[in-house]
Amino acid sequence: MNRMSDEGGIYKKMATYDKRWVYLALFAIVLYSLIRPIGMPIGISAQTKAYKTELDTLQEGDLVFSTWNMEFSGYMELKPGVLATHKIFIEKGVKLCIAFGHFEGVALPPEIFKQLKKWTDDYDYTEGEDYVIIGYVFPNEAAVAALAQDFHANVRVDWKGQSIEGTFLDEIQNAGDFDMISDYTTGLATTNLINHVVLQYGVPMVVNSIGVSVPGHLANLDAGLITALLASTRGGAELEFLINSPGPGLKSMDAFTFGHYSLIIFIIIGNIGHYGWTRRSGARERTGIR
Amino acid sequence: MSSFFKSRSAQITVLIVSFLLVFVPYFIPWGPLDWLSGKLMTIAAVTNAFTIVIAVYSQFRRSGRFINERRKGWVYHIYLLALMAIMTLSGFIFGQHAGAYEWLLLAVVTPLSSVIYGILAFYMSSAGARAFRARSPQSALLLIAGFVVLMYQAPLTGAFFPGIEGAATYLTDTFGMSVSRMFSISVSIGAIVLGVRMLTGKEVAFLGFGEGDE
Repeated sequence: MNRMSDEGGIYKKMATYDKRWVYLALFAIVLYSLIRPIGMPIGISAQTKAYKTELDTLQEGDLVFSTWNMEFSGYMELKPGVLATHKIFIEKGVKLCIAFGHFEGVALPPEIFKQLKKWTDDYDYTEGEDYVIIGYVFPNEAAVAALAQDFHANVRVDWKGQSIEGTFLDEIQNAGDFDMISDYTTGLATTNLINHVVLQYGVPMVVNSIGVSVPGHLANLDAGLITALLASTRGGAELEFLINSPGPGLKSMDAFTFGHYSLIIFIIIGNIGHYGWTRRSGARERTGIR
Repeated sequence: MSSFFKSRSAQITVLIVSFLLVFVPYFIPWGPLDWLSGKLMTIAAVTNAFTIVIAVYSQFRRSGRFINERRKGWVYHIYLLALMAIMTLSGFIFGQHAGAYEWLLLAVVTPLSSVIYGILAFYMSSAGARAFRARSPQSALLLIAGFVVLMYQAPLTGAFFPGIEGAATYLTDTFGMSVSRMFSISVSIGAIVLGVRMLTGKEVAFLGFGEGDE
């Protein structure tokens, strides 16, 4: 038994390292980078530039349906993109109709508008006049389709129970009256919005998606179903850079970079160990450890 | 009368009529049909909202069984039901904008939700680090592709090696996207097939019928 465990030596240790080393390294790197940010340069992707260009097409008074289809946890990843995009909306003076597709969304408006207070104060952007929060909209196909077809049959009050009559939402009869859909998503309702708003009424839709959903949305982007895509925290940080308004995204980019590099280092260590161990001793076949 | 509504053919007829009312207006835009279709979808949306009551009821029944039979983890079910009751009652009694409900949401639910999400990053990193092994020529190719995309995802890399964007974009726009499209197309075709089976009465389990039931 001892002989077997000794076989492979350093290579075996490298190939079969304890996963807790990964946890520890990642935790230490992320924590240190957040406490002591270096402010490393970042590259701006063409995708984020295209997203910014799409937002720049909006004019003052345009109606944007901002759908916060995320849990509070997902918001932590999308926060930079949410804040940077809404700063653009406020600066441009577009009218925002805000809905959320998760019950935790109730916690989002106070948190987000607290972060945007400087912008709402500077541009005198007020609830009821410039933006209305209609609150929770069931994120399933039937509810999204119904809302898209007859807005006022499904929404009569805002999230505080006050009537939406007399607000700019009077102009909305169906989803085709919106000038843009701005979706922030962990996966809730986005496909339904594409099916019932984009395909049915031809409203342009931009998406800020969490990292794991990006490959799926790339296909939508390529097919023209969405007009622009902002990818995860990194996309948000790039947008912060483009609008010259540093926020949580740029602050987290050091941790983001070092986190990725640490993962790459662990992959390299594992592969060197795997190669050396299998080549030198053939222990994998004898021990059955793969 | 009630036996008529419980019958398989009556329920499938309702299904077919509902389907046609929503489906046809996409191809034949006609005012009255659009109106009817919209009303039906609004009714479905409102009915859907009430399913949350069924979900709560089902969870209480399920957890009740766990607790009664003292199955593994039954204590957690007591905890779950207590929290569900506290959140529901505080929402109903004080309202969703009252201090009590907001405190529970902001001080308990949202931090825990974020913690669970944060922990996932550790699991994913660890699984990724240990799974990416060049065990065969195919997995070596996967490893190289993963390496390029990971390097590109680290924002600093793009600042010093702008060329990596082209390589990573090529991989995601070709191999990644084709897989993504294949998945979407498969799911869509599967959904269409399931829909046809439901409409033709070949799939009736969702109506609560077994095979051969009328």
